[in-house]
Amino acid sequence: MPQAQTIESAVNPNLVTPFINSVRDVFDKMAGVKITAQEPHLKAGKSTGHDISGIIGFSGAVAGSVVVSFPKAVAERLVEAFVRMPLECGTPDFVDAVGELVNMIAGSAKPYLGGVASISLPSVVIGQGYTVASMSSTPCVIIPCSSPHGDFAIELCIARQAGA
Amino acid sequence: MKFNPDDIMMLAGTIWESVLSLPIETDEPGSVGNHPRSMAACIQISGAWNGAILLDCPVEFARLAASVMFSTEPANAALPDLQDAIAELVNMIGGNIKGLLPETCFLSLPAVVEGGDYSARVPGSTPVGRVAFVCQGHRVSIVILEKTREETAAA
Repeated sequence: MPQAQTIESAVNPNLVTPFINSVRDVFDKMAGVKITAQEPHLKAGKSTGHDISGIIGFSGAVAGSVVVSFPKAVAERLVEAFVRMPLECGTPDFVDAVGELVNMIAGSAKPYLGGVASISLPSVVIGQGYTVASMSSTPCVIIPCSSPHGDFAIELCIARQAGA
Repeated sequence: MKFNPDDIMMLAGTIWESVLSLPIETDEPGSVGNHPRSMAACIQISGAWNGAILLDCPVEFARLAASVMFSTEPANAALPDLQDAIAELVNMIGGNIKGLLPETCFLSLPAVVEGGDYSARVPGSTPVGRVAFVCQGHRVSIVILEKTREETAAA
Protein backbone atom coordinates (compact mmCIF):
# COMPACT_ATOMS: atom_id res chain seq x y z
CA MET A 1 0.00 0.00 0.00
CA PRO A 2 1.51 3.34 -0.97
CA GLN A 3 0.26 5.06 2.19
CA ALA A 4 1.81 2.41 4.48
CA GLN A 5 5.12 2.74 2.62
CA THR A 6 4.95 6.49 3.09
CA ILE A 7 4.43 6.10 6.81
CA GLU A 8 7.27 3.61 7.13
CA SER A 9 9.63 5.81 5.20
CA ALA A 10 8.71 8.84 7.30
CA VAL A 11 8.34 7.37 10.77
CA ASN A 12 10.00 4.42 12.44
CA PRO A 13 7.20 1.87 13.00
CA ASN A 14 8.93 0.85 16.23
CA LEU A 15 7.89 4.24 17.58
CA VAL A 16 4.22 3.73 16.67
CA THR A 17 3.48 0.22 17.90
CA PRO A 18 4.25 0.95 21.58
CA PHE A 19 1.58 3.65 21.59
CA ILE A 20 -1.01 1.36 20.03
CA ASN A 21 -0.28 -1.18 22.73
CA SER A 22 -0.20 1.36 25.54
CA VAL A 23 -3.50 3.04 24.67
CA ARG A 24 -5.20 -0.37 24.65
CA ASP A 25 -3.58 -1.42 27.93
CA VAL A 26 -4.18 1.84 29.80
CA PHE A 27 -7.87 2.10 28.94
CA ASP A 28 -8.42 -1.62 29.50
CA LYS A 29 -6.69 -1.80 32.87
CA MET A 30 -7.50 1.64 34.25
CA ALA A 31 -10.97 2.27 32.84
CA GLY A 32 -12.25 -1.14 31.75
CA VAL A 33 -12.72 0.19 28.23
CA LYS A 34 -11.72 -1.79 25.15
CA ILE A 35 -9.96 0.35 22.54
CA THR A 36 -9.58 -0.57 18.90
CA ALA A 37 -6.71 1.14 17.13
CA GLN A 38 -7.20 1.59 13.41
CA GLU A 39 -4.65 1.90 10.63
CA PRO A 40 -2.21 4.71 11.39
CA HIS A 41 -1.79 7.33 8.70
CA LEU A 42 0.42 10.34 8.13
CA LYS A 43 -1.05 13.62 9.24
CA ALA A 44 -1.95 15.88 6.37
CA GLY A 45 -2.79 19.51 7.01
CA LYS A 46 -4.35 20.68 10.23
CA SER A 47 -4.72 18.53 13.34
CA THR A 48 -7.80 16.56 14.28
CA GLY A 49 -9.73 19.53 15.65
CA HIS A 50 -11.19 17.78 18.68
CA ASP A 51 -12.43 19.56 21.80
CA ILE A 52 -10.07 18.13 24.42
CA SER A 53 -6.38 17.50 23.80
CA GLY A 54 -3.76 16.12 26.15
CA ILE A 55 -0.21 16.87 25.05
CA ILE A 56 2.95 15.33 26.43
CA GLY A 57 6.52 15.88 25.31
CA PHE A 58 9.37 13.41 24.93
CA SER A 59 13.02 14.28 25.22
CA GLY A 60 16.27 12.31 25.27
CA ALA A 61 16.71 9.38 22.90
CA VAL A 62 13.27 10.11 21.48
CA ALA A 63 12.07 13.68 21.07
CA GLY A 64 8.75 15.13 20.09
CA SER A 65 5.22 15.22 21.33
CA VAL A 66 2.18 13.01 21.64
CA VAL A 67 -1.30 14.52 21.45
CA VAL A 68 -4.38 12.56 22.48
CA SER A 69 -7.49 14.36 21.21
CA PHE A 70 -11.10 13.65 22.11
CA PRO A 71 -14.48 15.08 21.26
CA LYS A 72 -15.98 16.51 24.46
CA ALA A 73 -18.63 13.82 24.92
CA VAL A 74 -16.11 11.02 24.42
CA ALA A 75 -13.65 12.58 26.86
CA GLU A 76 -16.37 12.94 29.49
CA ARG A 77 -17.37 9.29 29.18
CA LEU A 78 -13.80 7.97 29.17
CA VAL A 79 -12.87 10.13 32.15
CA GLU A 80 -15.97 8.89 33.98
CA ALA A 81 -14.91 5.30 33.31
CA PHE A 82 -11.39 6.14 34.50
CA VAL A 83 -12.27 7.91 37.77
CA ARG A 84 -15.52 5.98 38.37
CA MET A 85 -17.56 9.16 38.66
CA PRO A 86 -18.81 11.86 36.30
CA LEU A 87 -16.68 15.00 36.12
CA GLU A 88 -17.74 18.23 34.52
CA CYS A 89 -15.61 19.15 31.52
CA GLY A 90 -13.18 21.94 32.30
CA THR A 91 -13.05 21.46 36.06
CA PRO A 92 -9.60 21.00 37.62
CA ASP A 93 -10.34 17.35 38.39
CA PHE A 94 -11.38 16.76 34.79
CA VAL A 95 -8.19 18.41 33.51
CA ASP A 96 -6.16 16.34 35.96
CA ALA A 97 -7.82 13.15 34.77
CA VAL A 98 -7.17 13.89 31.09
CA GLY A 99 -3.57 14.77 31.91
CA GLU A 100 -3.18 11.58 33.89
CA LEU A 101 -4.57 9.43 31.07
CA VAL A 102 -2.15 10.98 28.59
CA ASN A 103 0.68 10.60 31.08
CA MET A 104 -0.14 6.91 31.50
CA ILE A 105 -0.30 6.30 27.75
CA ALA A 106 3.05 7.99 27.21
CA GLY A 107 4.59 6.40 30.30
CA SER A 108 3.51 2.91 29.28
CA ALA A 109 4.93 3.34 25.78
CA LYS A 110 8.20 4.91 26.87
CA PRO A 111 10.12 1.74 27.86
CA TYR A 112 9.53 0.26 24.40
CA LEU A 113 10.77 3.22 22.33
CA GLY A 114 14.45 2.32 22.62
CA GLY A 115 17.03 4.33 24.53
CA VAL A 116 16.53 6.55 27.52
CA ALA A 117 13.74 9.07 27.09
CA SER A 118 12.01 11.41 29.49
CA ILE A 119 8.40 12.44 29.38
CA SER A 120 7.28 15.90 30.36
CA LEU A 121 4.35 17.24 32.29
CA PRO A 122 1.13 16.84 30.35
CA SER A 123 -0.61 19.92 28.97
CA VAL A 124 -4.36 19.90 28.50
CA VAL A 125 -6.16 22.10 25.97
CA ILE A 126 -9.92 22.53 26.17
CA GLY A 127 -11.93 24.49 23.66
CA GLN A 128 -13.47 24.51 20.23
CA GLY A 129 -12.07 25.07 16.79
CA TYR A 130 -8.43 25.14 17.81
CA THR A 131 -5.49 23.36 16.19
CA VAL A 132 -2.44 21.78 17.79
CA ALA A 133 0.83 21.69 15.89
CA SER A 134 4.29 20.41 16.60
CA MET A 135 7.44 21.50 14.83
CA SER A 136 6.61 21.12 11.16
CA SER A 137 9.87 19.31 10.37
CA THR A 138 8.79 16.31 12.44
CA PRO A 139 6.55 13.83 10.58
CA CYS A 140 3.30 13.19 12.43
CA VAL A 141 1.31 9.98 12.48
CA ILE A 142 -2.35 9.80 13.41
CA ILE A 143 -3.60 6.65 15.14
CA PRO A 144 -7.41 6.69 14.99
CA CYS A 145 -8.93 4.91 18.00
CA SER A 146 -12.42 3.61 18.59
CA SER A 147 -14.09 2.88 21.92
CA PRO A 148 -17.62 1.98 22.98
CA HIS A 149 -17.89 5.63 24.09
CA GLY A 150 -16.83 7.07 20.73
CA ASP A 151 -13.76 7.77 18.62
CA PHE A 152 -10.64 9.69 19.47
CA ALA A 153 -7.14 10.01 18.02
CA ILE A 154 -3.50 9.87 18.99
CA GLU A 155 -1.13 12.13 17.10
CA LEU A 156 2.54 11.12 17.29
CA CYS A 157 5.16 13.66 16.29
CA ILE A 158 8.26 11.94 17.59
CA ALA A 159 11.59 10.89 16.19
CA ARG A 160 14.66 9.09 17.41
CA GLN A 161 17.51 11.47 18.05
CA ALA A 162 20.78 11.08 16.18
CA GLY A 163 23.36 9.25 18.24
CA ALA A 164 20.82 8.17 20.85
CA MET B 1 12.55 27.63 42.32
CA LYS B 2 11.29 31.14 41.56
CA PHE B 3 12.19 33.19 38.51
CA ASN B 4 12.63 36.92 38.83
CA PRO B 5 10.30 38.75 36.40
CA ASP B 6 13.10 41.21 35.60
CA ASP B 7 15.32 38.32 34.52
CA ILE B 8 12.57 36.88 32.31
CA MET B 9 11.94 40.30 30.77
CA MET B 10 15.64 40.75 30.07
CA LEU B 11 15.82 37.32 28.51
CA ALA B 12 12.73 37.95 26.37
CA GLY B 13 14.01 41.37 25.36
CA THR B 14 17.30 39.91 24.19
CA ILE B 15 15.58 37.22 22.13
CA TRP B 16 13.06 39.63 20.62
CA GLU B 17 15.82 42.06 19.72
CA SER B 18 18.16 39.46 18.24
CA VAL B 19 15.58 37.37 16.37
CA LEU B 20 12.90 39.89 15.47
CA SER B 21 14.77 43.18 15.80
CA LEU B 22 11.76 44.42 17.76
CA PRO B 23 11.72 46.06 21.18
CA ILE B 24 9.39 45.02 23.97
CA GLU B 25 7.78 47.14 26.66
CA THR B 26 6.41 46.11 30.01
CA ASP B 27 2.68 45.61 29.70
CA GLU B 28 0.40 48.30 30.99
CA PRO B 29 -2.96 46.95 32.13
CA GLY B 30 -5.74 48.00 29.79
CA SER B 31 -3.38 49.10 27.06
CA VAL B 32 -4.25 46.26 24.72
CA GLY B 33 -7.68 45.02 23.71
CA ASN B 34 -8.97 41.48 23.41
CA HIS B 35 -7.84 39.43 20.44
CA PRO B 36 -10.27 37.14 18.64
CA ARG B 37 -7.67 34.46 17.97
CA SER B 38 -4.53 33.64 19.88
CA MET B 39 -1.67 31.20 19.91
CA ALA B 40 -0.06 29.39 22.82
CA ALA B 41 3.26 27.62 22.51
CA CYS B 42 4.38 25.20 25.19
CA ILE B 43 7.79 23.66 25.70
CA GLN B 44 8.57 21.22 28.46
CA ILE B 45 11.71 20.78 30.49
CA SER B 46 12.45 17.48 32.18
CA GLY B 47 15.35 16.09 34.13
CA ALA B 48 16.90 17.69 37.20
CA TRP B 49 14.09 20.27 37.06
CA ASN B 50 10.67 19.56 35.67
CA GLY B 51 8.30 22.12 34.31
CA ALA B 52 7.01 23.94 31.28
CA ILE B 53 7.11 27.33 29.60
CA LEU B 54 3.99 28.78 28.03
CA LEU B 55 4.12 31.63 25.53
CA ASP B 56 0.78 33.24 24.74
CA CYS B 57 0.20 35.86 22.05
CA PRO B 58 -2.37 37.07 19.53
CA VAL B 59 -2.27 35.46 16.11
CA GLU B 60 -1.38 38.85 14.64
CA PHE B 61 1.83 38.91 16.65
CA ALA B 62 2.67 35.42 15.40
CA ARG B 63 2.07 36.70 11.86
CA LEU B 64 4.42 39.61 12.48
CA ALA B 65 7.08 37.31 13.94
CA ALA B 66 6.77 34.90 11.02
CA SER B 67 7.08 37.72 8.50
CA VAL B 68 10.32 38.87 10.12
CA MET B 69 11.77 35.38 10.57
CA PHE B 70 10.91 34.16 7.10
CA SER B 71 11.35 37.48 5.28
CA THR B 72 7.86 37.60 3.86
CA GLU B 73 4.91 39.97 3.96
CA PRO B 74 2.72 39.39 7.02
CA ALA B 75 -0.27 38.71 4.77
CA ASN B 76 1.66 35.96 3.01
CA ALA B 77 2.61 34.08 6.17
CA ALA B 78 0.69 30.80 6.33
CA LEU B 79 -0.45 29.08 9.53
CA PRO B 80 2.53 26.65 9.57
CA ASP B 81 4.84 29.68 9.34
CA LEU B 82 3.09 31.27 12.32
CA GLN B 83 3.32 28.03 14.28
CA ASP B 84 7.01 27.62 13.44
CA ALA B 85 7.75 31.22 14.43
CA ILE B 86 6.10 30.92 17.82
CA ALA B 87 7.59 27.48 18.35
CA GLU B 88 11.05 28.89 17.63
CA LEU B 89 10.54 31.75 20.08
CA VAL B 90 9.41 29.45 22.90
CA ASN B 91 12.25 27.08 22.02
CA MET B 92 14.75 29.90 22.45
CA ILE B 93 13.16 30.97 25.72
CA GLY B 94 13.28 27.36 26.89
CA GLY B 95 16.90 27.03 25.91
CA ASN B 96 17.83 30.14 27.87
CA ILE B 97 15.79 29.10 30.91
CA LYS B 98 17.39 25.66 30.76
CA GLY B 99 20.76 27.34 31.09
CA LEU B 100 19.68 28.67 34.48
CA LEU B 101 18.62 25.26 35.76
CA PRO B 102 20.63 22.53 37.46
CA GLU B 103 22.14 19.94 35.14
CA THR B 104 20.98 17.78 33.44
CA CYS B 105 17.74 18.99 31.87
CA PHE B 106 16.19 18.21 28.50
CA LEU B 107 13.92 20.33 26.33
CA SER B 108 10.98 18.79 24.54
CA LEU B 109 9.93 19.96 21.10
CA PRO B 110 7.40 22.79 21.29
CA ALA B 111 3.70 22.29 20.71
CA VAL B 112 1.62 25.19 19.43
CA VAL B 113 -2.11 25.71 19.88
CA GLU B 114 -4.02 28.18 17.70
CA GLY B 115 -7.65 29.11 18.05
CA GLY B 116 -10.25 31.52 19.28
CA ASP B 117 -11.89 29.63 22.11
CA TYR B 118 -9.58 27.45 24.14
CA SER B 119 -7.70 27.25 27.41
CA ALA B 120 -4.34 25.57 27.89
CA ARG B 121 -3.43 24.20 31.29
CA VAL B 122 -0.61 22.15 32.76
CA PRO B 123 -2.10 20.05 35.54
CA GLY B 124 0.24 19.24 38.42
CA SER B 125 2.22 22.44 38.08
CA THR B 126 2.38 25.88 39.63
CA PRO B 127 3.54 29.18 38.12
CA VAL B 128 7.02 30.19 39.32
CA GLY B 129 7.58 33.06 36.91
CA ARG B 130 5.32 35.25 34.82
CA VAL B 131 5.76 38.33 32.66
CA ALA B 132 3.59 40.20 30.18
CA PHE B 133 4.87 42.68 27.66
CA VAL B 134 3.83 44.55 24.57
CA CYS B 135 5.53 44.24 21.20
CA GLN B 136 4.30 46.43 18.34
CA GLY B 137 0.96 46.78 20.13
CA HIS B 138 0.52 43.05 20.69
CA ARG B 139 0.32 41.69 24.23
CA VAL B 140 2.57 38.70 24.84
CA SER B 141 2.86 36.70 28.05
CA ILE B 142 5.36 34.13 29.25
CA VAL B 143 4.61 31.81 32.16
CA ILE B 144 7.10 29.40 33.68
CA LEU B 145 5.47 26.45 35.43
CA GLU B 146 7.16 24.01 37.81
CA LYS B 147 5.97 20.49 38.38
CA THR B 148 4.48 20.17 41.85
CA ARG B 149 3.57 16.51 42.13
CA GLU B 150 4.53 13.12 40.84
CA GLU B 151 2.22 11.61 38.28
CA THR B 152 1.15 8.16 39.33
CA ALA B 153 1.80 5.97 36.35
CA ALA B 154 4.67 7.33 34.31
CA ALA B 155 7.02 4.43 33.73
